[in-house]
Amino acid sequence: MKKLIAGAILLGASSMAFAQPGCGVGAMIWKGQSGIAPHVLAATTNGTFGNQTFGMTTGTLGCQTNQSVQSMAMYMDSNIDKVARDMSRGSGENLDTLAVLLGVEETDRDTFRKVLQDNFASIFPNADTTSGEAVDAIVALLEQNDALSKYVAA
Amino acid sequence: MGFTLRIGQAVLWLACSTAWAQAESVKLPDNLHHNPTWLTLGHYHQDRFGSDYTSQADDPAFFLSDNGKTSPRAELEATLEAIQQPGGGDSHARCRFPARDAWLREQLDFPDTPVNCPAFEEWAGTLNTEKVTLVFAASYLNSPSSMFGHTFLRLDPPQDDEETDLLLANTVSYAADAAEHDSELLFAYRGIFGGYPGITSIKPYYEMIRLYNDIEHRDLWEYTLNLDQQEVDTLLAHTWEIQDKNFDYYFFDENCAYRLLALIDAARPGTDLLDEVSTHAIPSDTVRWVRDAGLLESIHYRPSAATSVAHSLDSLPTDHQTIAAALANGYVAVNDPEVRKLGKDDRAQLLDATYDYVRYQSEAEGWPREHAAPLSHQLLVARSQIEDAAELPEVPEPEIRDDQGHDTFRLSLGSGQLAHSEFTQLTIRPAYHDVLDPPAGYRTGAQLQFLRLDARLYHKNDELQVEQITGVEIRSLSPRNQFFAPISWQVGFGGRRTDTGDDRVLAPYLEGGAGGSWSLAQNTQAFAIATTDVEIDDDIKRGYDFAPGADLGLLHQNNRFSLLTGVKTKAWIVSSQHRQDQFYAEANWHIGREFSLFAKFTREDHYDRYQSTWQAGLHAYF
Repeated sequence: MKKLIAGAILLGASSMAFAQPGCGVGAMIWKGQSGIAPHVLAATTNGTFGNQTFGMTTGTLGCQTNQSVQSMAMYMDSNIDKVARDMSRGSGENLDTLAVLLGVEETDRDTFRKVLQDNFASIFPNADTTSGEAVDAIVALLEQNDALSKYVAA
Repeated sequence: MGFTLRIGQAVLWLACSTAWAQAESVKLPDNLHHNPTWLTLGHYHQDRFGSDYTSQADDPAFFLSDNGKTSPRAELEATLEAIQQPGGGDSHARCRFPARDAWLREQLDFPDTPVNCPAFEEWAGTLNTEKVTLVFAASYLNSPSSMFGHTFLRLDPPQDDEETDLLLANTVSYAADAAEHDSELLFAYRGIFGGYPGITSIKPYYEMIRLYNDIEHRDLWEYTLNLDQQEVDTLLAHTWEIQDKNFDYYFFDENCAYRLLALIDAARPGTDLLDEVSTHAIPSDTVRWVRDAGLLESIHYRPSAATSVAHSLDSLPTDHQTIAAALANGYVAVNDPEVRKLGKDDRAQLLDATYDYVRYQSEAEGWPREHAAPLSHQLLVARSQIEDAAELPEVPEPEIRDDQGHDTFRLSLGSGQLAHSEFTQLTIRPAYHDVLDPPAGYRTGAQLQFLRLDARLYHKNDELQVEQITGVEIRSLSPRNQFFAPISWQVGFGGRRTDTGDDRVLAPYLEGGAGGSWSLAQNTQAFAIATTDVEIDDDIKRGYDFAPGADLGLLHQNNRFSLLTGVKTKAWIVSSQHRQDQFYAEANWHIGREFSLFAKFTREDHYDRYQSTWQAGLHAYF
């Protein structure tokens, strides 16, 4: 089942180029304006301009062997702002999605949410943190937790 | 190597087909190629002239017969032959066209012998679909041109499974594949007259949320359809058949919404949603058709980032709103006493609303990263230190959904008087909404009309005159406050009667304007717009005229009554060199969402004389 979900994410991203960079790369958090294209016509007419979609930036797929972690890294890459927001609140659908991607069972989810909220400042040490760095920090945090380490085992 | 292989395959195929030809041949029922399901699966439509059929697919890969595009019969015969070929594998017809295969086997009582289609099976397994949801992206604040909306399908995984998640669900959409460098003009031209390939594509729902909810600020309405598992499987199988196949895209009819209707028709034969399409398929109308066909199971509302942040800020007490504005603009720091002295819940809600606001401003207004990023980080770090705080109230679902608003085609009949000359006026407006129409289900202050025709019959000499043809008219009045400073704007073109001093001639015009609007009370706003007008006509002294001007007015909208009143002035500076001053008032009384009674009055000072026009009548919405 977990494989299926990971596959679903990869299927969706199949059009992107996998740049295969090293670890720790990824989207910078709050990278600024994505730009609202002057899409008066596009909106009227329901077309899409190629540039209106936002490709994911380079992924963090080069270094992680755990497929769940890879899926989480891809999700974080395109939703980093919202993931950070939910993490600071200790709740929210983006946090639930991370739990699903990592396969965290229902019984462990409260712990999962709490660990991420409590350690927000170490996951995002500054305003220039990238999604890849955040993923690495999350993996390191979960590895130290007795209940959660099994979800990030390589 | 590849070449020999392919020859080998061809020889094998030839051998097989010869072997087949010698076997018994299956007799097709005479009229099976005109079966509605077959026509739906082939996207065949009857030609406008004659009784032949043509498929809307513009891709040879969609057909098994060379004549497939124009002959449902040839395509059916070719399909029948192809699916009976032995073997399997991704290039076998049964794997390329699983929906056709299943339907034809059922029609001809063929045994449903298993076939090995690794690519299709993996694809369908990955999509893991239990329910299909039609998602409608509503129009967004301050952008009436988005009023048409946009639709796509979401493929929902089983919900009782804790290992699935709707954000990760996949979506099916159909869109014009426009080249990035095409100008908007070319885009519009090719969109209307054809020339863009339309492509069915699959993307995860979170990407669509990012695009529509976060970047375009459109609320999403999720209409879960009551298709059963078998119908869902048929829909998927047919999606597989048309995925990556080219169907030329036309904005008005064969657009995003249209192709999705075809998918639903294929899933549940007899639904015939496409029969509702006449000249145009406005996505919000297609939602109504789906609703009226009894296909809805449940409805869920997902507010956009803009809706959420406005609601979050609104739910803060007034003095906290002031702190939020000061925090966001950097006048107060996250650790200042104003913030620290607040109770746990208040502080959490203040930080949450401020963060959402800063993100919104960065996204929509381009706040510089040097300001927004460190501030965002400080806000979240401070927020992460507060545990188990009461969350901000959720955005309530609007009482009236977009698909429950008034119908978009309007017919009006009225009578009135222009400078003591009586007339009867008939107005036809194919789409969409003006600020005086019943507001429920539409964005406040937004207006989009096109192809409106006003015709008048003057009683004195029985003269029929075109009063105005409105090509397009867009208007957006959105109030400003301490958090948001949108520009109110308008643009329009068409042909209208203009006063040359001694005659009223029909002249092409172009008008535009920009300004601001301020909320006076709930449902009431005052606006001030700087305008420009251009008119072109032989009867105007220099062939054209140009007028800078101003429009100051008041708009009230509620479900029973709408009022627009104000003063306009235009200084025609090229030809007539006269000022045109006008007082106007127009009111509509709404009778449900099907009818409105309207009355309007204008008094004008132009060429040093006063002239009044009044009119009253009835609008009916279809």
